[in-house]
Amino acid sequence: MSRWLFYVFLLTIVGCTDSKEQNNPDNETANEPFASTYQPAPSGSWVVRDAHILTGTGSELHDADLWVKDGKIQAIGKDLTVDDGTLEIDGRGRWLTPGLIDVHSHLGVYPAPETPAHADGNEMTSPVTPDVWAEHSIWPQDPQFDLARAGGVTTLQILPGSANLFGGRGVTVKNVPSLTVQGMKFPGAPYSLKMACGENPKRVYGSRKQPPSTAMGNMAGYRKAWIDAKEYQQKWKKYREAVAKGDKEAEPPKRDLAMETLVGVLEGKILVHNHCYRADEMKQMIDLAKEFGYKITAFHHAVEAYKAAPMLAKEGICAAVWADWWGFKQEAFDMVRENLAMVDAAGACGVIHSDDPVGVQHLNQEIAKAMAAGRKMGLHITKAHAIQWATLFPAKALGIDKVTGSLEVGKNADVVLWDGDPFSVYTHAEKVWIDGVLQYQRGDKPRSDFYLGLKDVSEALQ
Amino acid sequence: MLSLLWGTAQATDWVIKNATVHWPNGEKTVNTHLLIRDGVLVAAGPQIDVPKGAKQIEGESLHVTAGLFNANTHIGLEEVSLVNDTVDFAAENDLVTASLRVADAFNPSSATVLHNRTQGITHALILPEAGGSLIAGQAALVNLSASRHSVEKQTVGVVVSLGQTGKKLAGGSRAAAMALLREALMDAKDYARHKEDYQRRARRDYQLSRADLEALEPVVTGQLPLIVRVHRASDILTVLDLAKTMDIRIVLLGAEEGWRVADEIAKAKVPVIIDPTANTPASFERLGARSDNATYLHKAGVTLLFTGIGWQTTHNAFLVRQAAGNAVANGLPYNAAMAAMTSNLWKVFGGHGAGLQLNRPADLVVWDGDPLEVTTEVEAVFLDGQVIPLVSHATLLRDRYAERYQLIHNSTN
Repeated sequence: MSRWLFYVFLLTIVGCTDSKEQNNPDNETANEPFASTYQPAPSGSWVVRDAHILTGTGSELHDADLWVKDGKIQAIGKDLTVDDGTLEIDGRGRWLTPGLIDVHSHLGVYPAPETPAHADGNEMTSPVTPDVWAEHSIWPQDPQFDLARAGGVTTLQILPGSANLFGGRGVTVKNVPSLTVQGMKFPGAPYSLKMACGENPKRVYGSRKQPPSTAMGNMAGYRKAWIDAKEYQQKWKKYREAVAKGDKEAEPPKRDLAMETLVGVLEGKILVHNHCYRADEMKQMIDLAKEFGYKITAFHHAVEAYKAAPMLAKEGICAAVWADWWGFKQEAFDMVRENLAMVDAAGACGVIHSDDPVGVQHLNQEIAKAMAAGRKMGLHITKAHAIQWATLFPAKALGIDKVTGSLEVGKNADVVLWDGDPFSVYTHAEKVWIDGVLQYQRGDKPRSDFYLGLKDVSEALQ
Repeated sequence: MLSLLWGTAQATDWVIKNATVHWPNGEKTVNTHLLIRDGVLVAAGPQIDVPKGAKQIEGESLHVTAGLFNANTHIGLEEVSLVNDTVDFAAENDLVTASLRVADAFNPSSATVLHNRTQGITHALILPEAGGSLIAGQAALVNLSASRHSVEKQTVGVVVSLGQTGKKLAGGSRAAAMALLREALMDAKDYARHKEDYQRRARRDYQLSRADLEALEPVVTGQLPLIVRVHRASDILTVLDLAKTMDIRIVLLGAEEGWRVADEIAKAKVPVIIDPTANTPASFERLGARSDNATYLHKAGVTLLFTGIGWQTTHNAFLVRQAAGNAVANGLPYNAAMAAMTSNLWKVFGGHGAGLQLNRPADLVVWDGDPLEVTTEVEAVFLDGQVIPLVSHATLLRDRYAERYQLIHNSTN
C-alpha cells in the first residue's frame, strides 16, 4: 500500500506556444518558460540489416533494413544502399520496432527510492491545481528512468497524480540521461492537463471534510473551474481587443497560472488526459467538455473503456489502459482482460499504459497479453497492429505522432532492436536509440548518479 | 480451438491430446495423451486407449502443468482493496498477533478466487500483513475450488514483518523489532515448557497473550516456520542468525537483496518467497533489487517460491506466471521457474495437493502454448479432479459487451 495509492489517479495537460503567440507582446508566457534544451548528439549514419521489422504503421517486414542518418530515419526496405562509412548492424534473428511510449508515468515525480523528500507527484493541498507543472517535480536522476530505457521505452508522459480534479500539467520527455528536466523535454510536444474523475478526489478531500466528497461534488468542482477559466479568457480577449484598437492605456489582467493552463485547454493547445475508470463517468466528462467547448484527448486507466468503446470511437477519444489490473478500487472492478482488444475492435484508439515503475519495463509484454486475450476471444489482431498500442497510438495521444511513434522515413530515429520477438516474455531490448543516438545496450550499467559509490548494490555481501 | 460443454466431471472420461507435459519432477514429455477418469489422472503416454464418449481437449500446441500457485496473496481476504469493509488480512490491534489466522476470514466465493482460477491458479498461500504488531498472524494454504473445502492447511507458518515495516511497528528501530521478536519467541519457548506453571500463575509475565503464545508454540518447537518479511541483505543475515540461535525454521519473504547473501540462505536451508520482477530500488532497503535475484538464489541452491507481479498479487495472482517467465528471461532455468510455481509449495509446506501425478485426482492446467509465455492462454483447469468452469465476472462482462457491440460472431470459451 504505498505509492500506487497515489498513482492510480492521474491525468495531465500540455501546452505549447505557437509562434504567433510568442510574437504577441501581451502574452507573458511568450518566452516559453522552462523551455526544452534537449539536443541529441550527432547520430552518424547506421543501418540495421536483415531484421524483422514492425513499423508501427501496421506493417511487418521480414529480412528488411532500416537506415538512420542524422537522427532521422532515412530509408526502410530490402537491401538498402547506404552512404559510405555507414555503421552496419546485424539484425538477423532480431526484431526492430519504434521506441515504446508510456503515456502514463510518474517516473521522476515518484522516484525510487521512495522517500518523503522525493514524493512530489500529487499536490494534495487543493482539488484544483492546474497551476502546478509535473516537470517542476521531476528528479532526472530517478534510477527508474534507466530501467524503463532497458525495456525499450524512449518517450514518457510524466503526469501529476490523481488526487485532484485538476492535477496539473503533464510533460512529455525523452527518456535520456540528463542533468535537468529541460534536457529531457520533448521539443515541440504539447503540454497536457491531468484531470481525474471518480473516487480519488472525493476520497482525498472528502476525508478532510472539504469539497469534493461525492461524484456530484467532483462535477461541480470541474464546472466551477471552467467557468472561472472562461471569465479569465474573456478578460484577456477584451484587453487584446483594446490594444488592437490602439488603446494605449489598457492594463493587462494579472496572470493566473491555473487559469492559463485551463485557457490553454479551451484554446486547444493543451491536451486533456483524463483519469477515468467507469463508462458512465466518461460520458459525464464528455458532456462537461462539450459544455465548455474543449476536447478530451484520452481517458486513462479506462477499465470500462470496452463498455464505452462506440462512444469513444465516435468522439475520437483514446483509452489508455492496463492489460489486466483491477480490484484495487471499486471503480476498477469491471475489468476484462480483453479491454484493449475490444476498444480497438470497436474502432476506437486503444493505448497501453503503465502507471508503474515495473510495468513500464514490460510494456511489450503488456501489449502481448492484451493481444493474446483478444485473439482468444476470436478477434483478429496481428503483431504489426498490436505494436501500435505502445508506439504510434500513444504518440498520437501525446500529439507527437508527426515526429515519432513509427518507423517512417523522415521521422525521429527512436528505435528498439530486440533480441527476438518483442511479444515474447523471453525477449530483451538489445539496443535502444533515441534520435538515432544509442542510449542503451543490453548489459549497460545504470547511468543515474544515484547508485555511484553504493558498492554493495552490485556485489555479494562478504 | 476446444469445444467443451462444462458439466459435471464426475463419472466422465477426459482425454487431453498431444500435449507437452511438464511433470512435477522436472521431466518433460511431448506428444503425450492424458486420460482423466472420474477425476483421477489414470493414464499418460504417447498412446492410450481413448474410451468411447470421452470428452477431448485438443489443440495445436497444448501444454500441461500442475496447477499453479502464488506464494504471497490475499486471495479470499479482500474484494476491493480500498473498500476497507472487504479487507481482512491485517488487524490494527496489538491484542491479536500470532493467534490471528487468516484462514478464519477466507471467503472461497471471493471474486479474487473466481478470477484467478480461470487463469490457471489452483492454490495460494494467503498471508496476513502486519497491522498493529510486527507479528502479523498465521498464513494458510488454500485451493481455488470455491468450495467449503478450500482451506487445505489452516496454518503453514507465522508471519512476521521486519525491515522498515518492523522498525516502524517496534517504535522506530530495526533493533527494537528484533528485541521484541526475540522476547516473543523466548516467551513462547518458556510457555511451551511450563504451561501448567503458567496456568497456576507461577511463571513470569509474558508480553503476549496465551492464545498468541499457543500460536507460536509450533514455531519454537520447529513444527512450523516463521515466515519473515525482510528485504535488505544485512537484515536477512540478522534473521538467519536469529533462526540459528533460537533453533527455529524460517521462510524468507521479499528478499530482494537475497542474492547478495545467497550462499548463507542456501547453507541455512531456508526457502524464499520472492517476486522475480522486483528490480526497482523502491526503498533504501531494496537498493540491490535486480532482475536476476532468482537466478543467483537458485545457483546457490535455495528453494524458490514465487509471487508477483508487484502489488498485483491478489486480484491478479495469476501474474506470477509472467513473473516466472521474466525470471527465465533473466537466467533462471526453466524447470526451476516452473517448480517455484508448482511443486515447491508442497516441498516446503506439505499438504495433499501434489499436482499432476498419476493415480491422483487431477490437479492440472491445460495451456495453448508455453506456459511461461505472456501470449499463452488457459484451455482448461482441473482442480482436485474437478473441471473448473472458466467463467468469472470478467468473462461474463466480456461476453455481454462483445455481443452487445457485435465485436465477434462466435465467442469461444
